[in-house]
Amino acid sequence: MQKSTYISAGGHALLLGYALFGGLFEAEPLELPSMDISVISEAEFAALTAPAQPPDVEPIAPEPVLSAPEPETEPTPVVPEPEQIPDPRPEPPAIVEPEPIPEPVIEPEPVPEPAPEPAPEPEAVVIPDAAPDTSLRPKPRPADRVAPEAVAAPEPDVAIDNTAQEATQPDENAEQVVEEQSQTAPEEAATEIVTEAEQPAASAPTSTVRPKSRPRETASAPDTSAAVNAALAEALGEPAASDETSGPTLTAGETNALRLAVQNCWVVDVGSQAANVTVVIGMSMDVRGKVTPGSLRLVSSTGGEGSAVETAFQSARRAVLRCQKEGYELPDDKYEQWKEIEMTFNPKDMRIR
Amino acid sequence: MTLRICIAVLAMCALPFASLAQSGPLRIEITEGVVEPMPFAAPNFVAESSAANDFAERLARVVVSDLAGTGLFREVPRTAYISQLTSFDAPVQYADWKAINAQALVTGAVNVSGSNLSVKFRVYDVFSGAELGSGLQFAGTTQGWRRMAHKVADQVYARITGEDPYFDSRVVYVSEQGPKDKRRKRLAIMDYDGANVQYLTGSEHLVLAPRFSPTGDRVLYTSYETGFPRIYVLDVGNVQRRVLESQEGSMSFAPRFSPDGRTVVYSLARGGNTDIYRMDIASGSSSRLTSAPSIETAPSYSPDGSRIVFESDRSGSQQIYIMGANGGEPKRISFGKGRYGTPVWSPRGDLIAFTKQSKGRFHIGVMRTDGSEERLLTASFLDEGPTWSPNGRVIMFTRETQGATGSASLYSVDISGRNLKRIPTEGGASDPSWSPLQR
Repeated sequence: MQKSTYISAGGHALLLGYALFGGLFEAEPLELPSMDISVISEAEFAALTAPAQPPDVEPIAPEPVLSAPEPETEPTPVVPEPEQIPDPRPEPPAIVEPEPIPEPVIEPEPVPEPAPEPAPEPEAVVIPDAAPDTSLRPKPRPADRVAPEAVAAPEPDVAIDNTAQEATQPDENAEQVVEEQSQTAPEEAATEIVTEAEQPAASAPTSTVRPKSRPRETASAPDTSAAVNAALAEALGEPAASDETSGPTLTAGETNALRLAVQNCWVVDVGSQAANVTVVIGMSMDVRGKVTPGSLRLVSSTGGEGSAVETAFQSARRAVLRCQKEGYELPDDKYEQWKEIEMTFNPKDMRIR
Repeated sequence: MTLRICIAVLAMCALPFASLAQSGPLRIEITEGVVEPMPFAAPNFVAESSAANDFAERLARVVVSDLAGTGLFREVPRTAYISQLTSFDAPVQYADWKAINAQALVTGAVNVSGSNLSVKFRVYDVFSGAELGSGLQFAGTTQGWRRMAHKVADQVYARITGEDPYFDSRVVYVSEQGPKDKRRKRLAIMDYDGANVQYLTGSEHLVLAPRFSPTGDRVLYTSYETGFPRIYVLDVGNVQRRVLESQEGSMSFAPRFSPDGRTVVYSLARGGNTDIYRMDIASGSSSRLTSAPSIETAPSYSPDGSRIVFESDRSGSQQIYIMGANGGEPKRISFGKGRYGTPVWSPRGDLIAFTKQSKGRFHIGVMRTDGSEERLLTASFLDEGPTWSPNGRVIMFTRETQGATGSASLYSVDISGRNLKRIPTEGGASDPSWSPLQR
């Protein structure tokens, strides 16, 4: 036991001694960025900065980047054939069409910098003769003399501070600032998970009922109304209308068709005195839709007298007779409704003002 | 109470059915028609004697020309005819005329015996299958065949349109010859359609503004024979004339007859002021109707002779005013932008025609006698001097074209603004005055 204790103590002592005196924990110096510099003369410096562009860039740069592809040398926009451009090369940068061509066209010679703008569609080349600036970097303007003004000295390089700074530690005593947050609705939660398959069916109907078709007029309807009207009139103590026509009435479309047919033949002399006269003419119709001969008559007139009324009547009569041809198109089953017609010819909207 | 409730319920039940029932005949109101010429047919009149062959065709041609010239009628081409008229008394085959859409048919017959000419005619409403009015016959001389044709056309026009006719009328105007800077002017008279021109004066002196008398036998006009404008009255029958108004140191112009033909209203410029005067033709006595320091001129009587419309610049711009036939405070009726002048009262009495200058263009227009419903019928470089047809349906006026080579012509237009057309005249023509219908 004692022996092993001695051995252990001795080993530790050796280790400590090596650590203290053997340089085991000696810190290595920090690696700092270093630059290789060489001292050159003023003449050498001038020789380096005098050329506007690196001699190796200047002759090449315009050609690969600026020279248009061979098909584009013509002033008219020509779509270069893919076969004519075996090697991809960049398009002239001045063309700003945004869409890039599928294959980048690159000059065979190495290019110092890739073209910044995507190559345009060939069709968009509209200014082939306007040579864009081809230099990749601005050329200095040639100057005959050195500027006399003194140039301000550049700022000294930033010195590297070797002083070690302690890392910051969170201050436990510091007051904790809590950011205010707007209130939001609590996240929806449920006591149990409900899968989509288990969701109840929506209350909205998934289909609508087809609307019912309009009830068709039947021949029995007027009979009903006549009976109801008769009963009503009897109940009210009024005499029943004797001139009421039985049968289904004409629809608005049927009436309008007749109106249009007649008005297309109604010639109005807008400058005449007859244009101030409104006439109502009556007529009897046969089952073919033609005016019964001799039945056309003047019922009433307003707005004039004498020859003006006679002319207005003639004009209306002519319109009815001229456009009837083989008979007006009227529904046979409603003949009772149109066997007697009264037409009012009112030229109020046609008068000259 | 129970009965009332039952009645009410019954009535509500009956309402939907009540609309299905129809009381009396089917009633339709038509408010829109068409504005188009009416097709008509006028076959050559039947020649009832060998000497009448030429006249039969010429008469029918003039009748057709008169009717079609109104713009209200359109002749169906004769090549489309199915029926041919061989006898004046033969029954009309309405179906044949319906088939070619002839709405009216005019038939006639001519007989010539020596220098006597007689013409008879009938008018039919084809689609009604009835004659309009009854047949009529005119008798005259072969020299007056054209006037007889106008008479026939007048009757046809009146029977179809219900309007008073105007074809048998004449127009007096200023005939113009020569270039613009050396223009020679003289009075001329012609049929309303430009035919039968006769000259009433020589071209030695400048003549202006002829105006027919209400009976058409005299003409008032202004002549510079003495160097100053003077009003003359000319008898159309014998071409005799006399000075109507002559006052030293004054100028008289713009004369017009009153409806009864006994009075002349005119303008008189004296001492730098122009006013309207009235003169009794028989006695020669005159009276002053206006006394404003402004220019009052171009007076025109209303058909009943109770009022006078004239132009005046008393408001600062040339406008139209109406005053009583004996003068008095005038009432301004034109208020639109531009200058209004040469007002003429319609023979119907409902409208006043005028010349309007606005924005560098001239117009002939009409308005109600209260100044409402103004309508401009024409527009050109220079339109002026309207005159009414005897029935108040058409307006004739002067239209002058622009430039040194411009010339004046007579035009007519329907009061609806349609059917603007030039009246054919020899050389230039201006300042028309339409006569009343000839007796």
